[in-house]
Amino acid sequence: MAKEIIMPKFGFTQEESEILEWLKQNGDKVEKGDPIAVVSTDKVSMEVEAPESGILDGIRYKVGDTVPVTQIIAYVLQPGEKIPESDSTPAAAHTAEITTEPKTETAQKPAPSLERAAGVSISPVAQRLADDKQVDLNLVRGSGKDGQITRKDVEDYLANQEKTGGKVKATPAARRIAGEKQIDLRTITGSGPTGRIQAADVVSARTAEAPAAQVKPAAAGSQAVNPALKVLKEIPLVGMRRTIAQNMQRSMQEAPHMFLQVDVEMDAAEGLRKLANENKMENSPKVSVTALIVKAVAQALKQNPIVNSQFTSEKIVLYEDINVGVATALDNGLIVPVIHNADRKDLKQISLEVSDLALRARNNKLQPDDLANGTFTISNLGMFGIDRFTAIINPPQAAILAVGKMNQVFVPDENGQPVLRSVVSFSLSADHRVMDGSQAAKFLTDLKNNLINLGEIVK
Amino acid sequence: MEALREGMRQAMQQDERVFVIGEDIGVYGGAFGVTAGLIDEFGPKRIIDTPISEAGIAGAVIGAAITGMRPIGEIQFSDFVVISMEQLVMQGAKMRFMFGGKADVPFVMRLAGGSGTGAAAQHSESLENWFVHVPGLKVVMPSSPYDAKGLLLAAIQDNNPIMFFEHKLLYKTKGPVPEEMYTIPLGQSHVVREGKDLTLIATSIMVSRAQQAAEQLAEEGIEIEIIDPRTLKPLDEKPIVDSVIKTGKALIVHEAVKTGGFGGELAAVIMESEAFAYLDAPVRRLAGLDMPIPYNRNLEYHAVPQVENIVEEARKLVKGQY
Repeated sequence: MAKEIIMPKFGFTQEESEILEWLKQNGDKVEKGDPIAVVSTDKVSMEVEAPESGILDGIRYKVGDTVPVTQIIAYVLQPGEKIPESDSTPAAAHTAEITTEPKTETAQKPAPSLERAAGVSISPVAQRLADDKQVDLNLVRGSGKDGQITRKDVEDYLANQEKTGGKVKATPAARRIAGEKQIDLRTITGSGPTGRIQAADVVSARTAEAPAAQVKPAAAGSQAVNPALKVLKEIPLVGMRRTIAQNMQRSMQEAPHMFLQVDVEMDAAEGLRKLANENKMENSPKVSVTALIVKAVAQALKQNPIVNSQFTSEKIVLYEDINVGVATALDNGLIVPVIHNADRKDLKQISLEVSDLALRARNNKLQPDDLANGTFTISNLGMFGIDRFTAIINPPQAAILAVGKMNQVFVPDENGQPVLRSVVSFSLSADHRVMDGSQAAKFLTDLKNNLINLGEIVK
Repeated sequence: MEALREGMRQAMQQDERVFVIGEDIGVYGGAFGVTAGLIDEFGPKRIIDTPISEAGIAGAVIGAAITGMRPIGEIQFSDFVVISMEQLVMQGAKMRFMFGGKADVPFVMRLAGGSGTGAAAQHSESLENWFVHVPGLKVVMPSSPYDAKGLLLAAIQDNNPIMFFEHKLLYKTKGPVPEEMYTIPLGQSHVVREGKDLTLIATSIMVSRAQQAAEQLAEEGIEIEIIDPRTLKPLDEKPIVDSVIKTGKALIVHEAVKTGGFGGELAAVIMESEAFAYLDAPVRRLAGLDMPIPYNRNLEYHAVPQVENIVEEARKLVKGQY
């Protein structure tokens, strides 16, 4: 029988993915495990693998289409096999429905945790019970006709949750791999006996659930499209765009921002950087301005732990780990790879990681780990010619630093004579629930001193 | 059988302290013929026939060992070792420890064990794990002619009391054996066959059955790695642990009854090791049924693991059905 290739579900509440690229075409021979397509999930591109060896055929969606998870996207055929008859009508309806979503979306959709992937039916009683008990139906196995989820399935699921305390059945190997890849085992369907998750199930899941995926859809406040205006293009609100929209909206709504700015003379830091690059060993990475700033910021965070923190409804949590994210622009959005434990790394190491992450970000090669657990973010628009700007805090962090471009400025020396200096403008956006102006000011002042006295820090 | 005989002959030729003692081992050549002809070469002073008294054999062996000889005792059917437990466990195993290292007890007790000969419940047991549980004893269990000779010579040279379990059905196994003297160090597991899908740890006759099973499974594309510990005590754990880390699955096969058998020890070794985090299925044991070996040949056949049982069990494990 023709083997179906379905759009994988990479994240807990992920509903759909955009097809970015077909790596194989109809008629291509594929081996089991070969990547056949690249799809975008929340900010990270993932590969869809061939479920078995054979000939790829019946591709149902083109690049740019947005496809609900678990939807069939193509088939792997063995010699003599054909695409099933029932598939003669491509699922264009699905595509249309979704791509036009922004236009028609006036009513709020049900919470995604209660939605079931397309193609599986749910009995009305089961649906109501699931709604009442806030059961994610994606985690419930259907035992009815054609896999329909019945009331008993939901009840069994709830009883089992109670009995096991929500524990997941998984082999030690599956747990180890899930731990290494930061995958939530609850999001994975086990293929072993009694639904036990085995190593292969985790490997095929491949991705961590992005923290942002927990955010509610941002569609609540969206407006109807003005029919009086001519539409140039519609950009579906999926993947990275959707995540950015959700996060930024949430941040501005929830976190009262305050903005502080300081200009810093960068001549000493620049001198240090040039010296380091002139004397660097062959093959060792060049020290970049970004690396210098990451180092100085990590030091300032260490001096001001209140900035390296998170607001929750019960408490403010100050983190010991200092993980500095560096916002990186992509063609289709923005991504924030993280330098973990930046306070404990030297300039050389930071430079190496900054350039490696930036390169992989642009080549879509970042792994979920690269994006996880940031505690502070730096956004640098200097290379785009921006003098200064303010940024929106990247939740759940408590502050973000906006860095402008380096300008040559005449400033008075101690005798009042003008001297030419390289000056960069730094703007801190801080969550006022967490800290007050004086604390934010102290951070910026420390950062400024760190940059001026960088030689002391990196020594 | 010839490999064991050759090993004993060469050891006796090389070292006059070595002698063999047991029931019917002289003119009769032993119940299974292992010592056939040795009396002609070495005479009744070094190939000593005893009365039917296993306690006597064990006592003589231990006494000779602590006075500087290197005796080889033979227990005609390993079942009868129960008669000599006091000598072996209470005395032989503990002497070196209790005398503060001033007495070595360098004997080898050869025991013919295992089922498959229609010899019923009192002549077919596999009792190796009883001795694994006794500190002071080493327990060796060869699975091939080559291993039998090499391990026997190593055991004779060893300064500790050694229980050397032979399988009656293996006496007729053919395999390459070098003519010269050679030893296989005790405490070295042997990777008999390499594979990536499953680690199969087998002892004694189960090694060759596992190899046959692996051949069949290879045709289905399932690659079994077989490890023979060869020495149950001291156990060489590393190859086992490394293999399970590689395959993520372990099947233990032995003939002795499952409950309280050596498989439980092996399973625990795996669980306690680094390999735990690599396990992708429960460790499984395939072993003898919890019953005396039946006299009826059909029942006897089904009382212990056979090739088809190993194939089925291994396949289920690999396919994730456990």
